[in-house]
Amino acid sequence: MSYLSVEYLLLFLAVVIVYNFTPKKLKPIVLLLASYAFFFYISGKLVFYLLLSSISIYGAGLIMKKIDEKRDKKLEKTSKEERKTVKEKYKRRKKIVLVFTILFNVAFLFFFKYLNFFKKISNKIFNIFNINHRFSILKYAAPIGISFYTLQALSYVIDVYNEKIEADKNIFKVFLYLSFFPTIMEGPITRYGQVSDSIYNGSKVTYHNFCFGFQRILWGFFKKFLIADRLNAVVKVIFKGYMHMSGASVALGAIAYTIMLYMEFSGTMDVVIGSAEVFDIKIPENFRQPFFAKNITDFWSRWHISLGTWLKDYIFYPVSLSKPVKKLTTFLRKHINNRVSSLVMGAIALFAVWSLNGLWHGAGYNFLAFGYYHFVLILLGNIFEPTIVKVCEKLKINRKSTIYKGFQIVKTSLLVFLGEIFFRAINLTTALRMIKRIFLHFDITSIGSEIPNLGLDVKDFIVIVVALIVVLVVSVLKEHNKNIREDVSKKHIVLRWAIYYALIFGILIFGAYGPGYEPVDPIYADF
Amino acid sequence: MEKLIEILEELQPEVDYETCEDLVDGRYLDSLTILSLISEIESEFGVQVPTVEIIPANFNSAKKIWELIERLQEDI
Repeated sequence: MSYLSVEYLLLFLAVVIVYNFTPKKLKPIVLLLASYAFFFYISGKLVFYLLLSSISIYGAGLIMKKIDEKRDKKLEKTSKEERKTVKEKYKRRKKIVLVFTILFNVAFLFFFKYLNFFKKISNKIFNIFNINHRFSILKYAAPIGISFYTLQALSYVIDVYNEKIEADKNIFKVFLYLSFFPTIMEGPITRYGQVSDSIYNGSKVTYHNFCFGFQRILWGFFKKFLIADRLNAVVKVIFKGYMHMSGASVALGAIAYTIMLYMEFSGTMDVVIGSAEVFDIKIPENFRQPFFAKNITDFWSRWHISLGTWLKDYIFYPVSLSKPVKKLTTFLRKHINNRVSSLVMGAIALFAVWSLNGLWHGAGYNFLAFGYYHFVLILLGNIFEPTIVKVCEKLKINRKSTIYKGFQIVKTSLLVFLGEIFFRAINLTTALRMIKRIFLHFDITSIGSEIPNLGLDVKDFIVIVVALIVVLVVSVLKEHNKNIREDVSKKHIVLRWAIYYALIFGILIFGAYGPGYEPVDPIYADF
Repeated sequence: MEKLIEILEELQPEVDYETCEDLVDGRYLDSLTILSLISEIESEFGVQVPTVEIIPANFNSAKKIWELIERLQEDI
């Protein structure tokens, strides 16, 4: 089931009604029961694994809390000289609990998502070395959202270990944090410290929150039904028949896919954040106008933000500040210079981040290639940044000018479009063939004859263009820190409702459903 | 504090470190610059910056970074 569906909307409304008529104290329990019912509805018996993850982090949190309390008692009676030894002793104990819990949770993720991939690699290696053994590849369904809730589970135990948050004694609160139905399938990957209080607050559904939440949900539906579902046809045709098309059309396919992915995923996030808003729960944003990014690093701080910050906090910094990396960089700092040392430190950590980012999206060479593509671009950006600054100074190019910024935005977008081919292509070979086609057979003149065969008529193209202009205008306003929703809510009631009706009827009249259209599947729910 | 500002200016010259209070939230310092800053701080002030301290609140202004350094020095 997709969040961007009438089915979800009906289920959501049912929960809102029950929630609204429940006493304040029991409201969070309603959300918890609804979340487990929702998960059971989409994943069946696999709800068991979600339960296991929740129990493991809840228990581990409490054990670590106990160890901290014991340590603090011991420290009260310890002299200043011995404090460090005592602290380290208890830290070691906590570390055992942490490592065990991480392994326990990662094991499920590995089993469901990566085991078959590594079996296939092993079988290939056996084949090369003529070893007469093959792992059997078994097909089984994974709990939906396992990649999202596992990262949340890990962040909880790591934050408790680091004493960033206190382990919660309230089992229902921890369980709800991991299973909250609007975020369970596609994120954002939230942190306990960020959302736990509002998630368990049991706030009333106010008229204001209801309206604001539904505005946001409608906006998500607008993006999906008017744009993403229409572009799906184009994407399917081009990614299937690219061999018989010009490079220009393949490039068009890459652009169409990237826009579709953005509209589908950010539209889903609108529904997720809007749903939570109805319950007065504040879920952090997962997108911040990514197509205004000036370089790839900037792009990833605007696209799927919660995954980026997770990897930054739990992989990038810990790897770059780990003992072996620090030893190496101290050596480099002494013998070469600080810049090289920082670059190497960053490169090692970025390599780990992008390997995991690629694998997180899927077990396949194309996803690894997707990760390494961005790794190389970011690394090159860092290496050549000082040279670019110098060249610009010499050529008297103002790096703050609108033209230069525009150039950076276009350059970044083109690189992103190219990278998304790895993401969408059925395998790495296909992705490379498509990229080759763009560069070697870019025949712009044949695009005119190919467009009519892309599965959309003139009306569809007009709807896409108009809807994209609407999204663009909203994005520009947001980029300039304009709070559009607040502004709309302050308008005269007639104008305000005219906007809402325009949105509702826009979706109803121009939405791409019915014969001839195939809706996009929830792309990120598969990760 | 002066030494810290010197380091910051070397890493990212386009900021007024006396007044800026959103170095991380305002995206003046990206994660790689923060890494360089940490290695400079560690070698200059003889402290170890644990990963758990790398949060925007500790790096949003020169004053906050200085407070972090002082706190870490006390912990030694």
